[in-house]
Amino acid sequence: MRIESIVLEVNGQRHVVEPAGRRLLAVLRDDLELLGTKLACGEGACGACAVLVDGRPVNACLLLAEAAEGHEIVTIEGLSTGRSSAIQEAFVAEDALQCGFCTPGQIVSATALLERVPQPTRAQIHEAMAGNLCRCGAYPKIERAILRAAGGA
Amino acid sequence: MTARFVRTQKEMEGRYEDVWVLVDEADDVESWAPDADLALVGRPAPRLDGAARAAGRVRFTVDVRLAGMLHAAVLRSPAARGRVRSLDLDATLAIPGVRAVLGPESDLSLTTRAPLLAAEPGYAGQPIAVVAADTLEAARAGVEALALDLEILPHVVDAQEGLNRQSFTTDPSDDARGDAEAALAAADVTIELALDTPAQVQTPLEPHAAVASWDGDTLTAWVSTQGMFSARDELSRAFGLRKDDVRVRTEFVGGGFGAKQGAGFEALAAAELSRITGRPVRLVNDRHAEQLDGGRRAATRQTIRLGARRDGTITAIDADAVIAMGQGGWVFPVLIPARTLYRCADVRALTFPVKTNLRAQNAFRAPGVMEGTAAFEQAIDELALALALDPLELRRRNHADVDQVSGLAYSSKQLLACYDRAAELAGWAGREELREPRGDGLLRGMGCATQIWWGGGGPPSHATVRLDADGYASVITGIQDIGTGTLTGAQIVAAEELGLPLDHVRVSGGDTRPNVYGPVAGGSQTTPSVMPAVRSAAAKVRKTLLQLAGDVFEIAAGDLEIRDGRIRSRDGAIDVEVTEVTGKLGDATIDGSGSRGPNPDGFVVHTFGCQIAQVAVDPALGEVRVERIVAVHDVGRIVNPLTASSQVEGGILQGMAFALTEELVVDPTTGVPVNAHLDDYKIPTIADVPEIVIDYPHVPDANLPNVGAKGLGEPPIVPTAAAIANAFAHATGRRAGALPLTRDRVIEALA
Repeated sequence: MRIESIVLEVNGQRHVVEPAGRRLLAVLRDDLELLGTKLACGEGACGACAVLVDGRPVNACLLLAEAAEGHEIVTIEGLSTGRSSAIQEAFVAEDALQCGFCTPGQIVSATALLERVPQPTRAQIHEAMAGNLCRCGAYPKIERAILRAAGGA
Repeated sequence: MTARFVRTQKEMEGRYEDVWVLVDEADDVESWAPDADLALVGRPAPRLDGAARAAGRVRFTVDVRLAGMLHAAVLRSPAARGRVRSLDLDATLAIPGVRAVLGPESDLSLTTRAPLLAAEPGYAGQPIAVVAADTLEAARAGVEALALDLEILPHVVDAQEGLNRQSFTTDPSDDARGDAEAALAAADVTIELALDTPAQVQTPLEPHAAVASWDGDTLTAWVSTQGMFSARDELSRAFGLRKDDVRVRTEFVGGGFGAKQGAGFEALAAAELSRITGRPVRLVNDRHAEQLDGGRRAATRQTIRLGARRDGTITAIDADAVIAMGQGGWVFPVLIPARTLYRCADVRALTFPVKTNLRAQNAFRAPGVMEGTAAFEQAIDELALALALDPLELRRRNHADVDQVSGLAYSSKQLLACYDRAAELAGWAGREELREPRGDGLLRGMGCATQIWWGGGGPPSHATVRLDADGYASVITGIQDIGTGTLTGAQIVAAEELGLPLDHVRVSGGDTRPNVYGPVAGGSQTTPSVMPAVRSAAAKVRKTLLQLAGDVFEIAAGDLEIRDGRIRSRDGAIDVEVTEVTGKLGDATIDGSGSRGPNPDGFVVHTFGCQIAQVAVDPALGEVRVERIVAVHDVGRIVNPLTASSQVEGGILQGMAFALTEELVVDPTTGVPVNAHLDDYKIPTIADVPEIVIDYPHVPDANLPNVGAKGLGEPPIVPTAAAIANAFAHATGRRAGALPLTRDRVIEALA
C-alpha cells in the first residue's frame, strides 16, 4: 500500500503528514504531538476535540485529515502562544473550568463565537456552545466568562 | 514531633471503621474564630492551575507519551452473560505489531481477588482479553483476530425479576428501630409513594486510562484515578511489591465523580502487559467502553410509607429499596435519608441488593443518598399535601436535633438557617402565586428538598511545607485535584497561615513518590481532611520563621506577626519584608510537616442543606424546564467561594439531569445497554442550565480540627432531583412513578 503524504497548515506552520485514512484529531495528537486537543467521545458528540478550520469550530474526531488539506487549522496551542487571550483570562477569573478536560474545546468554540459575534446574547452563547459538553457542569461560569470577555459583564 | 497512636473511627461515605491514627500533639493548632479577620481564607481566588488548564497545557493520563510505548485494546463481552468457547490467541499474535495477548486462560504474574479477564462474562462490556501492540490500530486488529466464540447464557437485568428469584449480591438488610408497623397503624395520616430511579453513568470526559512502565522491579503508573494512594496499594498487592516500589502519578484527572477508584482494570492490565513486553503500555477506554464499564449509580425501586399525627409530627417511616446492583459492588446507603433526615422513633428500612447481569455498581457522587433523597423527599411532600401543611414547615417541625441512628449529637447543624435563607432567596412565600397562568401555556411550580450527607473527613492526611530564602513556600500534598480546586484550597490555607501572598505559595500533589499521604478524592473528604494538615504544617514553619526573626531582630518571637509577606512587631518598630529573615537561609529551608488529627469523639459529622427548584412544565410537549434553583448548604467554613460555587453548580446540574434526562437504558431482551454513547445518553448542555442561586450559613464547624470546613463535593447533588420532582408535582398536581421525567413519562403522568 502506498501511503500518500499531505500538507497540513496547523497554527501557521506547514507539516507533511501521512494521514493513512485517519481523522484529523489522530494526526494532531499522535503525529504533531499537539495534545491540548482532547479525544472524549470520538463520535462528534462532545466538542472536546474542537479546532478551528478556517475560523470555524470543527470536531477534529470526525474530520478526515485529508479533508483538512488546504485549510487553516488552529488548535488550542495556536490560541495560546503568548499570554492568555481575553477569553482564557475570563475562563480563569470566572472559574469556568473544573477538571479542564473539555476546556480547550470550550476555548476554541468561544473564540470562534466572539470572532463572529463580538457581543453575543445568552441565546447566542447557548446556540454556539451547546456542542461542547462539560460533565463537571461549569456551564454557568462558561456563560459568564464569555460575557466577561465580550465586555458585557 | 510528639507522636501518639490514637484509636478512632474513620468515616467514608457513611461506612465507619476503627483505625489507629498517628497523632502529632504539635499539630494542635487552634481553629480560626468565626469572625477572624482572614486575609485569604473565605475570599474568592482563581485556581492556581487555571491558566495552564485554559491553555490546554496540562497533561492528563491520556496525554502521557513514553518512548517505545505500546497501546492496548480490550475484547469485551458483547453479551450480558456467556461462556467463552474459544479465542484464537495465535491468530492475534500473528498480526503485525502485536506484542502480547492475554485471555482468561493466560498465566498472569499479578494476583487479583476476581479474575482480571472473564471466561464467563457476567455483563456486556466485561473484559475477556487484552492485546498490546505497537499502535492502537494493530491492537484493535488483534482483538478482531481473537474471533471470540461466546456461548450466550440466559441473563437477568430487571431488578424485579432478580428479586423474584431471590438472587442477591449480599444479604438483604433490615435497619429498624422501634415498631414502624404499629406506628403506621396508629397514625392519623399515612401516605405511600413508590419511585423508580434510573441507572446514571458517571461519564467523566476523560475515560478510565492508565500508562504503566517498569524499571526492573519498580513500577511507575500514570492512572486517571481519584485515589492515587489506593491505586499504589492495589498495584503493590497485585504484583507483590513494597508500596515504595510503585509510583502512581495522577497530576490531572479529567473528571471522576466516583467512578475512578484505585488502580482499576486499566492500570492492572497495562502493568501486566508492560511486565510481559518490557515496554510501557497505555490502556485507555474508548467512549463506548467507558459508558458500559466505567460504572454507574444503579437503578432502584423504592417504596416509602409514612405515618404522621395531625399536627405534622412524623410517627412512622417504612421504606424499602430494591437496588439493581449488577454483578456486585458496594450496597449504597439508599435509605439513609429515610433513617436519618427527620426525628422519628419507629423506622423500618429494608434494602434488597439484587444481583443482575450489569457491571457492578460503583460510586457516583453522593452514592445512595442522592437516589434515596429523590424518593424520600417526594414522600415528605406527599405527606405535607395530605396534612395540608407547607412542605418547608413540615420539614422544620420534624427537624432532628440529634443523629437518629446513634443518638449522638451533630458536630454542627445549621439546617434551619438553610431553610430560612433558601425560602427567602427563592421567594417561597409567593409559591402559590407562581402557579397562576402567565399566558404562555406553561404550568409553574416550586418545590424544596432537604440534604444530608457526611463530609467530615478525617485522618490520615499529611502535608509538608517548605519555605525558602526567597520567601516562597512549597506545599507538598497527597491531593489528586480531579477538578474540585483542592490544590488551590491548600494554597489559600497555607498562605493564610504563613502570612504570605497567595502567589508566593506553590502546591504540588498528584504523585505518590514524596509519600505525603492524602485520601481518595471521594466522600467529600479532601477539604476537611487535607486542609487541617496543611495548616498544621504551615503553622510549624510560621513558628520557626518567627523564632528566626526574633534572633535577627533580638526580640521575642511572640511579639512578632506575619501578614502580607511582611514581618511586623506589635509595637510597629519592626516592619520588614519576610526576605529580611529568610534571605539569611542561603540554600537551607524551613520545613514543617503536619497531619490531620481525629474527629472528636461523641459526635457525628454531617453536612446539611436545602434546595428549592422552580420549574415550568409544558403540558402539550411534556417538557420540564427548570427555571431556577436556590441552594443553601451548611458545609462549615468556605475556604474558596469561587471553586465552592463551581462544586455546587456542577452537583446541581448532575442532579437535574438525573431528574430530567439521564438514564442508562438496558434492552431487556439482550441485556445490553442501548445508549452507551454520548449522543444518546443525555448529559446537560449549556442550553439546559437554569438560574442557580447559592448561599451558605458560613458557620465554621467548631468541633472539626483547625479549619472548620466540611466537604462540598457531594452535598449539592443530593436534593436537586427531589426538589425538581416536588416542583413538578406542585405545578401539575401529579407525580410520575419514575425518574427521569422524560416527555413520555410527563405526558403519561398528566393524562
